Parts: sequence; C-alpha cells; structure tokens
Amino acid sequence: MAIVLPILVYIYPPAGNNKKQDLPIKLDKPLGELANGEGLKFQAPAETGFVMTNGGGDNAAGKIAFAGYAVKDAAGKLNVFAINCSHLGCSVNLVTDKQRFECPCHGSIFNLDGQVIHGPAAYPLSNLDWKQGTTRDQIVVGGIQLKGIG
Amino acid sequence: MAIVPHPRQIQMAVVNWLDERYPFTKSVDEALYQRVPNYANAFYYCFGGMVFILILFLLLTGIFLAFYYVPDAAGNPAPAYTSVSTVIMTQAFLGWLMRGVHFWSANLLVVMVILHMARVFWTGSYRAPRELNWMVGVTMLLIVLLLALTGYLLPWDTKAYWATSVTIKIGGSAPLLGPFIETVLQGGPTLGPNTLQRFFTVHVFILPALIVLLMYVHFKLIRAQGISEPL
Repeated sequence: MAIVLPILVYIYPPAGNNKKQDLPIKLDKPLGELANGEGLKFQAPAETGFVMTNGGGDNAAGKIAFAGYAVKDAAGKLNVFAINCSHLGCSVNLVTDKQRFECPCHGSIFNLDGQVIHGPAAYPLSNLDWKQGTTRDQIVVGGIQLKGIG
Repeated sequence: MAIVPHPRQIQMAVVNWLDERYPFTKSVDEALYQRVPNYANAFYYCFGGMVFILILFLLLTGIFLAFYYVPDAAGNPAPAYTSVSTVIMTQAFLGWLMRGVHFWSANLLVVMVILHMARVFWTGSYRAPRELNWMVGVTMLLIVLLLALTGYLLPWDTKAYWATSVTIKIGGSAPLLGPFIETVLQGGPTLGPNTLQRFFTVHVFILPALIVLLMYVHFKLIRAQGISEPL
C-alpha cells in the first residue's frame, strides 16, 4: 500500500498544468449593437479553452468548450453559452430565422435561452462565465490554459 | 600448414564450453523436443501458436516503429501525426511495410486470441487443474484489447482522436468514478497531448512488459500440465 498509493496519486494529472485564466475575446460586433434574437459565435484562442459553469449530460460543470455563442433572446436578455450540445458534445448551430440552436448530429433543438425544445438532449446548454471587456466589442470569458491544444 | 577445423568442431567446442557453465543443451532440448499428442494434431490447436507468432511480429515491428515515432501531439500538424503519415509512411525505407505488418498483426491478433479462447472453451481445456492458466489467458485478452485501444490513438489522425474521445466518454460514464477515470485517462481536463503521452507510455512500456511476463507464465503452466485431453 505504501508503494502503490503514491503511484496512484502520481498518475492523477496535476492541476498546475492547466491554470484557470480569463480569456479576452474580441466579438464581431459590440454586444450593445446586437438585435434581439441575434447571436455571435466566438472561438477560444490557441492553447486555451472555456470552462463550462453548469449543465448536465455531456456538459458537466468544469468541462471544456472551444467555442461559444453570445446571444440575445427575444426579450433582450443576453446569454453566453458553450457551443457544445448537452447530448454528446457536437457543436450546435445558431439558426437565426427560426430563433433556436440546432445540433447537426442527432437533431437536438434548444431555444435562445438554452432550454431544450427537442431531444435527444435532456439538459440545457451550458453557460460560460463572462463579463464585459475593456472595449465595446470585447468580452472576458472564464477559461483554462491547455498547452499544446489548438 | 595450419589445420583448419571442421565447422562442426568449432560448434561442438562452443556448445561444450557453454554447457560446462550452464546446461543449455539440456534446457533447450526440454523446451523444444516435446511430443505432440495425436488428439492435439488438429488445425484449431494452432491458434495459440499463431497468437504467439503475431505477438513476436508486433514486438519487433513496434520496436522499429519507435525509431521514428514522436509521441508529441502539440501543434498542428502535430509531430505525432507527421512522424507516422510522412516519416514512417513515405520517408523511412520500408516504413510503410513496418507499419502495415504492425497494423495487420494487431488486427489478426484480436481475431486469433478470440479463436484460441473459443478452442480452449470448446475442448473444455479450462477445467481443473488448468483454471489458473485460463485466468492468466483472460488477463492477457484484456491486455491485448487495451493494447489495441491505446495503439489506436497513436497515429493522432482524426479517426484516432475521435475514436479515443468516444472511448474516454464510455469510461467517463461509469457511476461515481466516471469523472476520475476520465481525468486520469485524459491526463487533464480534455483530450490532448497529455492523453497521447499517457497512451504511448501504456502502449509501449507497461502493457508489452506485462504481456511478455504473462506469456512466460502461460507457457510454463502449459508445460507443467500438458495439453488437455479431449472431452
């Protein structure tokens, strides 16, 4: 035991390799100019990812996303979602004229608040932690360092 | 005029010199000259031997592939990917053949292991006193499957990446321990270079050593118990 236990702990990856950090993201246009029902897609910079803050199914809190959507619903409420479908993690598409997210893999549909309209997904889209950046078209999203990825 | 010894005399001198220090001839004779019982003289008793030969091929070609393979998945295209698709497949002399033999031996190995297991089951060879050898065999089946799984990621192409992504998700869906298993397999919060490093280590260092050890035990037990009589 005295030999095996430290080895098992050794095998568990150290957290120091993947430091949490805030990622400044430049959007295609300022959030203030977003019309209701409109959204913007954004990507994580190289060697970083966004950290999901909630969700279920394939999207648990703490899982990584490499892209996201900043979207205003019909009432003007702003949401920032990870791009991954909560079913099996495919990237959902924003279909503006139908006012919903559609997953190309298995047909899950979400409304602009991230709630499930149609399965197989059983959980809403995951939110990302974000705040307004220093310029009007910048947001700062909670992320993590991922050396060598992307 | 110098007297040139006959080659057989040189051979005898070398063998005698060795035999005086360790009974090589005796142990080699014991290992090789075994009568095969008539009832074991059928093609389906050869599956185990084919497994052994395939593992020899895999060890040899694997060692030579490791001369050029780079277990580094950082960047795009990653050195791991280019070392397989460019260096081994197009630049190294007969590299494509080395990888081809490794690939096909690996595929055939899984088939042969299952056929061998089916034969042992069919002839009832797992019964007393051979249960222990059956257990060793099942452990080696798991090792072979783990080798197939970890080796699949190493070319670091799209197929390898997403197949492993699915595998890790299956492990991650285990109750309670799921997130722990997922993090340990991935070597971090997501599938990336750390995952490749881990799978490479397991594929190249840990599992081959284990399977060679267990093969030795497997063969020792067969020799101790003899080939089982038919039902």
